[in-house]
Amino acid sequence: MVDWFKKKRKWDLEADVVVLGTGGAGMTAALAAHAGGASVVILEKSKLVGGTTAVSGGVVWVPNNHHLGEVGVKDSRDEALGYVKRLTDGRSDDALVERFLDSAPAMVKWIEEQTPLRFKPLGRYPDYHPEFPGGKPGGRSLDPGLFDANELGPWKKTLRRSAVFGMTAMSVGEATDWGVFSKPLKLPFKLLGERYAKGYVCYGGALAGNLLKALLERKIEPLVEHAARELLVEEGRVVGVRAEKAGQAGQPGQEVFVRARRGVVLASGGFEWNKALTAQFLGGVLTHPNSPPSNEGDGLKMAMSVGADLANMSEAWWCPSVDIPGEEYDGKQLHRGDFATRSLPHTIIVDRKGRRFVNEAQNYNDLMKAFFAFEPNAYERPHLPAWLVFDHAYLEKYALQTVMPGQPTPEWLTKADTLDELARTLGVDARGLAQTVERFNGFAVEGVDPDFGRGESLYDHFYGDPDNKPNPNLGVIGKKPFYALQVHPGAIGTKGGAKVNVDAQVLRVDGAPVPGLYAAGNVMAGVTGAGYPGAGATIAAAMTFGWLAGRHAAAQAE
Amino acid sequence: MPEVEYETTVALPRERVWDFVKDMNNWAPYLTGYQTHEILSDTDSIWTLKGDVGVLARVVKLKAHVTEWNGPSRVSFTLTGMNEQVDGDGTLEMDTNDGAAKAAPGSPAPSASAPAPLAKRSFFGRILDAIFRFLFRRMHGPGVVRALPTGKGGPTSKLKFRLRMDAGGPTGPLVNAMLAPALLPAAEDLANKIAAHLESGGGAGAGAKPAA
Repeated sequence: MVDWFKKKRKWDLEADVVVLGTGGAGMTAALAAHAGGASVVILEKSKLVGGTTAVSGGVVWVPNNHHLGEVGVKDSRDEALGYVKRLTDGRSDDALVERFLDSAPAMVKWIEEQTPLRFKPLGRYPDYHPEFPGGKPGGRSLDPGLFDANELGPWKKTLRRSAVFGMTAMSVGEATDWGVFSKPLKLPFKLLGERYAKGYVCYGGALAGNLLKALLERKIEPLVEHAARELLVEEGRVVGVRAEKAGQAGQPGQEVFVRARRGVVLASGGFEWNKALTAQFLGGVLTHPNSPPSNEGDGLKMAMSVGADLANMSEAWWCPSVDIPGEEYDGKQLHRGDFATRSLPHTIIVDRKGRRFVNEAQNYNDLMKAFFAFEPNAYERPHLPAWLVFDHAYLEKYALQTVMPGQPTPEWLTKADTLDELARTLGVDARGLAQTVERFNGFAVEGVDPDFGRGESLYDHFYGDPDNKPNPNLGVIGKKPFYALQVHPGAIGTKGGAKVNVDAQVLRVDGAPVPGLYAAGNVMAGVTGAGYPGAGATIAAAMTFGWLAGRHAAAQAE
Repeated sequence: MPEVEYETTVALPRERVWDFVKDMNNWAPYLTGYQTHEILSDTDSIWTLKGDVGVLARVVKLKAHVTEWNGPSRVSFTLTGMNEQVDGDGTLEMDTNDGAAKAAPGSPAPSASAPAPLAKRSFFGRILDAIFRFLFRRMHGPGVVRALPTGKGGPTSKLKFRLRMDAGGPTGPLVNAMLAPALLPAAEDLANKIAAHLESGGGAGAGAKPAA
């Protein structure tokens, strides 16, 4: 704690509970704490509200949720527990997994009671390993629907929007029903334009918008451009934070001391934009984070500074990513997650030997791990760099990021009339690529991929083209010209951080809680360990532990 | 299809404004998001701009073709997207002034940067001006905010900028919805930056350096 503050002890703001961050974890924690009778101050580092949640798909993955019956899916605690425990790969405490699975359904019910949110179950959105024991073909992922941002009044402009998801006002359920991946030209663009002009948002914007509205209704206004920098500790207890309020128009910022009478909730996101921390901790090579650039590990560093134990630090919510030169978001090159392109027919991913090395349609988190494989003799990662290779048949039918079928071929694609020329342009082994494509084309005709099992899982099919026969994920690569786009190691966030107990209290190395300190979201050691159980698992865990943190903190004596 | 029109007053005679405007190298950098431009001929040029589409900044390459070159009163042009399915057209009109500046009829939003002349404003009016300017900067970033000329110091002229953009292809209706909010600030920004440059004593050659 800064010396002068020890002497002066003059708080600029005081509240029972201070929340750092306005993503799903932070806003849920703030709502829960306030509902529990606590006064709340919520600080946000960036000038926009919504955090990583607002740029996400906004879906919430909740086994045993009360909407499952609407889509005819039966679920059980045991099924969910077995499924998640298999995916954690031994990197999460069983007690936390159980706490998550037991609390998430109640959290969702509570959110629907306390906010305008009314989730809809996505009956056709499968778990990310639906064929594993306990996996489900749909229903666990909940769609936040649309949100009219005008309901936020003057806060409308402060709601963070995604540059990738939710540029259009289309719910996840609509996107699925309309064939957003396989039939992009059939989307109702006139309707989408009208909704956009009216101020509707969707996906993560809808989730964050609803949570923000609920906060505003409780007279809790986030303090934006307030970056928490230090936890203030007295006699071993966290009693507040020192934040930096950004200066206006080139003026220097100012320090703000915020007292937390009952607790501080860290909900400030991951460390994916902090190159030093990612190099220090991650098991893979993260170069292309998809989240807001303000996710620099501030909360992680603050937790470390008060002796927090850490876990799951080598893991991230990995996601293969591509760049379109010139696209910027928050002043940085935008890295677009590739969720569907690689799953659709007429595409493969190859390394510099021109060889496939993974089921390209695998879920984005698990797919990325194949990129990081290490070859000890050569002491290198043979699958980095890697490229998406596809043919003109793809561009005739499907969207490629911002390019719709029939639109001019963008300059940022590598293009060649032959595979040989394409390979030489990329610096890829031409013979290897030719052999790979020939072999893959045989699989496409047969509809079976014996090498990597692409197109076998229901998950693969969800991102494929149901009208493509015999397999929704396999199509011949043969129509010139041929194209390539480099696929980079990206992530929608990191998921290592402070270890917590079942009440979201941050734990020290000796296992005792740090009094007055909680964590939720990507600043917390991820409860699902290495795995990604289904769409919205990130946000569901974030909101659940935010909810637990807010409730527990509110219940503490001053 | 989004179309905007913006008009402001410049404290200089029309001919002086025309001398500056007639060479696009002079004012090219004043275009919102200007990156580079390349002059191909007397009538054709290629412009690279970085513009906002929704929350995203993207680089767009446009081919501009001058269809009417009628100095000192009017320039008309068309725009064709080279890397995006978008086209448009616009005019830049200069006229001798017969009154204070105003947002042109049909303009989709009142111009916060074009209040009544400061010299005629009351104390409360000046406070309101300050508030409007603050709000404008909050909404559109640090654009040029000028105290408009009163007309008492010499001849003035009107500078009017009209711009229409239309995204084509299947996604056109959606892209147009995203483009619309950015067009009026862009038109205001260009007109006010040209006016501010000239009023500060700047002349031809003080602005852009063409890329080629």
